[in-house]
Amino acid sequence: MSLTIKLEVVTPERPVFSAEVAEVQFPTASCGYYGILPGHTPVMTEVGDGLLYYIQEGQKHWLTVFGGFAEVGPERVMVLARESETMDMIDLERAESSRQRALKMLKEAQTEHDMALAQAKLDASLIRLQAAGHPAGHGY
Amino acid sequence: MASLQDIRRRIRSVKNTQQVTKAMKMISAVKLRKSQERLVALRPYASKMAEVVRRVVVRIKGDAEIQPGPAAQAFLAPREEKRIRLVFVASDKGLCGGFNANVAKAATAFVAHCPSEIVHLDVVGKRAVEWAKKQKLTPTKEYLNIPLPGLQRVVTEISASASAQYHDGEIDALYVVYNYFNSPVAQTPTVLRVFPMELDPSLESKEAGQVSHLLEPDPNAVLETLLPRFVETELLRNLLESSASEHGARMAAMDKASNNAGEMIAKLTLTMNKIRQAGITNQIIEIVSGANA
Repeated sequence: MSLTIKLEVVTPERPVFSAEVAEVQFPTASCGYYGILPGHTPVMTEVGDGLLYYIQEGQKHWLTVFGGFAEVGPERVMVLARESETMDMIDLERAESSRQRALKMLKEAQTEHDMALAQAKLDASLIRLQAAGHPAGHGY
Repeated sequence: MASLQDIRRRIRSVKNTQQVTKAMKMISAVKLRKSQERLVALRPYASKMAEVVRRVVVRIKGDAEIQPGPAAQAFLAPREEKRIRLVFVASDKGLCGGFNANVAKAATAFVAHCPSEIVHLDVVGKRAVEWAKKQKLTPTKEYLNIPLPGLQRVVTEISASASAQYHDGEIDALYVVYNYFNSPVAQTPTVLRVFPMELDPSLESKEAGQVSHLLEPDPNAVLETLLPRFVETELLRNLLESSASEHGARMAAMDKASNNAGEMIAKLTLTMNKIRQAGITNQIIEIVSGANA
């Protein structure tokens, strides 16, 4: 049994990440967070919005993921995300301005649909801010 | 014989054409790069997606304990194909060599040999609309002048309605006819059945006993969310393949046109020089014979 597991994150726009890691944790759509260690039993599940972390050489690294699917095997984790970013892909200013806009939209929302859209937008921006370690992202 | 003036005029006109084709080639090269980048980025995602879907399907099929839900059932046991939906992808503009002609030929052959009825036809691109008219088919929906970023919206629309139709039993299969992007200079017209998915029986038996994935929260929920996304990814890939192919084909066609124009200019210049030389020779002969007299 190997002590590492291959993590692959791909989105329709680009392959985001691919490397051997020691541990992975990702958010699912319906069952909370999944923590995966090498040798995990095969699982297939829907991925939710949030932060994925992996541990590589004792260091914890974060990725954002938004929706998609994950296939877990004993030797690899494949995440087919709708959207995903590494830390250096995140544009802090854009996330912050997107948060402001979402807050404004939330206040002005008339229908439930608008509300849901604004909330989703706010969540997405908060996840990005949190990932980048921005103060506004905490307390989320 | 054409006069010197005429030939000069023709050379000028060919030169102008050459300039246009050169510019078009350059523009196509830029557009090709954009489409190709997106396509190359999407391909690994699409192939992995197909792999995952295949594995889930095999898994559900191989496990007698799982009761397949309606969406899953339709995928696992394909109905007899009586009514199908066809998506035909061509380009909006011409001047791209055999790009449209080839894919139209493939579509015509497909329609001619298809035993089932086409109940829903989506056409992407003006040339596709023209093809439908020629075939006396009425497109249900036309998608014209779709820019690259707009493809996603088209894809979402088609896949959502196609999935719903399949679910309601209005259609039994979804086919796409498009140009597969081999390389910037080579496209292959391709007919693809997006769903129901074709499973390779040898792989099926090999994998059936091997891995048994847990499907969380439950198999049907996974499949039901997975399938629309799979269809979407496939369609997006097909549209991008076609877009990249189109620009590649146009680039190749325009390159050829520029070369041909160059050749023509060389030929015309040669004739022009000959005529001029003939004129000069004539004049010299006249002068010499005049002096002799």
